[in-house]
Amino acid sequence: MIRTALFLWLALQTISPEATQHLNAGRLAESQQRIDLAVTEYRKVTELEPGFAEGFVNLGQALMEQHDYAAASDPLKRALELDSSLVPAHQLLGYALLAQGYAAEAIPHLSRVHEQGALGIAQVETGQFGEAITNLQAALQKRPNDPDLLYYLGRAGGLLSKQSIDTLLAAYPDSARAHQSMAENYFVLRQMADAEKQYLAALQLRPDTPNVHLELGQVYAMTSRWPQAEEQYRAETKLQPGNAEAAYRLGNTLLQQGKAHEACVELQRSNQLQPQMPETLYALGKASALGHDDVAAEQAWSQQLKVEKDGPLAAQAHFALAGLYRKQGKAAKAEEQMREFQKLQGAAGQSQERQ
Amino acid sequence: MLIAAASAVGTALLEVKLPRGIDFILQNSPTPQKYLIETMPGGVALLDYNNDGLLDVFLVNGGHIDSPMQTPENFDRHDPRYWNRLYRQNRDGSFVDVTAEAGLANAGDGNYGMGVAVGDYDNDGYPDLYVTSYGKNILYRDNGDGTFTDVTAKAGVAGGGWSVSAGFFDYDNDGKLDLFVTRYMEWDTKDSKDCGGNYHTYCPPGEFPRTTNILYHNRGDGTFEDVSERSGIAAKKGHGLGVAFADYNGDGLTDIYVANDGMQQYLFRNNGNGSFKEVGMEAGAALNVDGGPLSGMGVVFQDYDNDGRPDVIVTTLPRQTYAVFHNDGDGTFSDHGLQTGVTMLSGVTSGWGVGLEDFDNDGQKDLFVAQGHVLDNVEKIDPSLHYLQPTLLALYHNGRFERIDPGTEALVAGRGAAFGDLNNDGWIDVVTTVVGDHPQVFMNRAGTAAHWLTITLRGTRSNRDGLGARVQVNGQTRFATTAGSYESASDKRLHFGLGTMKTAKVEVLWPSGSRQILNDVAADQFLEIREPERP
Repeated sequence: MIRTALFLWLALQTISPEATQHLNAGRLAESQQRIDLAVTEYRKVTELEPGFAEGFVNLGQALMEQHDYAAASDPLKRALELDSSLVPAHQLLGYALLAQGYAAEAIPHLSRVHEQGALGIAQVETGQFGEAITNLQAALQKRPNDPDLLYYLGRAGGLLSKQSIDTLLAAYPDSARAHQSMAENYFVLRQMADAEKQYLAALQLRPDTPNVHLELGQVYAMTSRWPQAEEQYRAETKLQPGNAEAAYRLGNTLLQQGKAHEACVELQRSNQLQPQMPETLYALGKASALGHDDVAAEQAWSQQLKVEKDGPLAAQAHFALAGLYRKQGKAAKAEEQMREFQKLQGAAGQSQERQ
Repeated sequence: MLIAAASAVGTALLEVKLPRGIDFILQNSPTPQKYLIETMPGGVALLDYNNDGLLDVFLVNGGHIDSPMQTPENFDRHDPRYWNRLYRQNRDGSFVDVTAEAGLANAGDGNYGMGVAVGDYDNDGYPDLYVTSYGKNILYRDNGDGTFTDVTAKAGVAGGGWSVSAGFFDYDNDGKLDLFVTRYMEWDTKDSKDCGGNYHTYCPPGEFPRTTNILYHNRGDGTFEDVSERSGIAAKKGHGLGVAFADYNGDGLTDIYVANDGMQQYLFRNNGNGSFKEVGMEAGAALNVDGGPLSGMGVVFQDYDNDGRPDVIVTTLPRQTYAVFHNDGDGTFSDHGLQTGVTMLSGVTSGWGVGLEDFDNDGQKDLFVAQGHVLDNVEKIDPSLHYLQPTLLALYHNGRFERIDPGTEALVAGRGAAFGDLNNDGWIDVVTTVVGDHPQVFMNRAGTAAHWLTITLRGTRSNRDGLGARVQVNGQTRFATTAGSYESASDKRLHFGLGTMKTAKVEVLWPSGSRQILNDVAADQFLEIREPERP
């Protein structure tokens, strides 16, 4: 709704009393949500005052309130023919065009009035993903939880990614990155044999490409080939000794193989590189317990619960602590942890039921 | 195909070959409706029904399913293609189909077959059969003359609904075998549904209501009493599939472990007064190491680490890994999947029939699992998983199970598994069932590299087969049972590998409470131990 006292005052200054009467009637009807009547009154204004740009803006706006964007476009265009500086006309026409799928035509109007949210959406639709991301992020600063903006930002990011990958695959189909990209697609589709093949091809071309060993390790982990996963994660941690995720994944893989001490070393290293990650702390607790270091296990899980009190991982930590205390003969503490576990499990169950 | 697999002491050498005479095909009748029963059969039993000293094979069949199924349900079990089958073993290792002459043909048109239990419920020296079904279950009494009689009505053990696994055991140590039956869910073909959207898959158990298991008490006069309510068993509804028995807390009473699908597992502690208390959660044997539910299917309740206490291994779906509940000796269990290497072995497989047997006779129990996914089109949903899977054989050495070649590279939809020494050579063999296919027979060809001892219990005050007895041989422990695995019944004889030992010390703790010790027992023999008639 574009209404300002100034706009109204200006309008009243320049048109005939009869037109003013219809303009006021239109305003009143609009305020009473009698949009059909408002359209009729505004149309009379444009008939009585065909050179009165604001009248066409009002008519266009009322039509937009009826979601008749096609009908709204003509009076708004006419308004801009009469006065190309009319900000509300640009804004409304930009929205009207965008709503009808004329994103490219909407962009100049939205750009003119710095309507960054709608502009970003129009840019997504026209394939200008980089610009779209900039505008959508700016719009989100003002409206952080707007679902449309969040959706389009995500879409823009995905499409920009796809665009880049398509370019990569077209220009350098035999490059290590192209193989890596194809491998990632196969991994998402859970086509592990194809993913493995592409990752290995990538590594043959560039053995030192960051993250490829890590991702190939995940292929092996998903298919329970833990020694191969360990080999890849070790290669990644050698390449990127500062990568906390690589250390975590190596530690977890060692844990899966029952190598408690080695797992603890890597998980502690990961925890130092990126402290307070609940996943790392939980795995560290398990590795410590596996290595019969109950004190370290208790510390890791307790620390994890300080970082994250709710959610599935917190439930797991409570369950693990319950088991630990039970083995230590601390029945009351074990029961307390089991209660917390069951409370979180119950919450998760209710959440699932709601879904 | 003959594939050797080296091990530390003995050498497990399995040969997979269908013996002459066994032509059974497990008919599950898959339909576009994806009736859940289609993917759940079937059981296998190894028993010596005619007491000729050779193990015979009984195989449970599914049935024919119309697409869609009409009401009343009719599975055409009168058609020989859908009969359960009894194969008698000949002296030359071949088999002959004796189903019809034994009186086991046509298991009832209203019954879609699932599993089998074996036990001498009337203590006459001949093993009786209990066949579970979606529909009604059947108790076949072994007449001792090569025939069986359907005594279900008189015995009062027809059950109803959807029964899966069953087992005979003596929960009150009165010398008469009682009967436990797992039931899966409240379900019928009329109210069935499929899941998986466009892919049309079998639904997970959570889509259907839980149901109760059944406990029958043997009155000793050929009849049973349903004591499910009175005993507390019926107080816990679940999605029961596998069942196994052992005395986990050393109080002389047999306890029950039920593998539930898609939820917590149940451990029914025997209170000794005819009632049970479900203690799975407090005993730490209900959930996986991360507190998650398990899709429990098969279960074995034996001592894998020779500490004298029965542990539990539960087979599950992929991404869960099989659970190894180690009995810590204080009434509680710890998940030892990581320590034992079982986690590594089971990340992407679905396990059903399972056993802990000493395949290489080195004195350590090894792990055998029949595998195959529950969904016959799982590849469409997750291409990293497979319906047909290899069989798992893992030898236990130095505290870990290590995979070895099971003797075949065949990928199958494995289900039931029964264990026993088919050719009486002192080495454990296996028969597994395969959905839609012939069974697999794994003959152990390891030869003479290690010694062994196979014990037959002859109860006098205890039940005749001594089921429930704890038998210790040179530091190893087995709990006498034919139950466990999935829908299957194994050889009642207790097999022990002795490694390099040529003699053994044998200690039997009978269900009656009497303890019997035999010293310097020669290795490499089949030994019958008779329970002292007086304490």
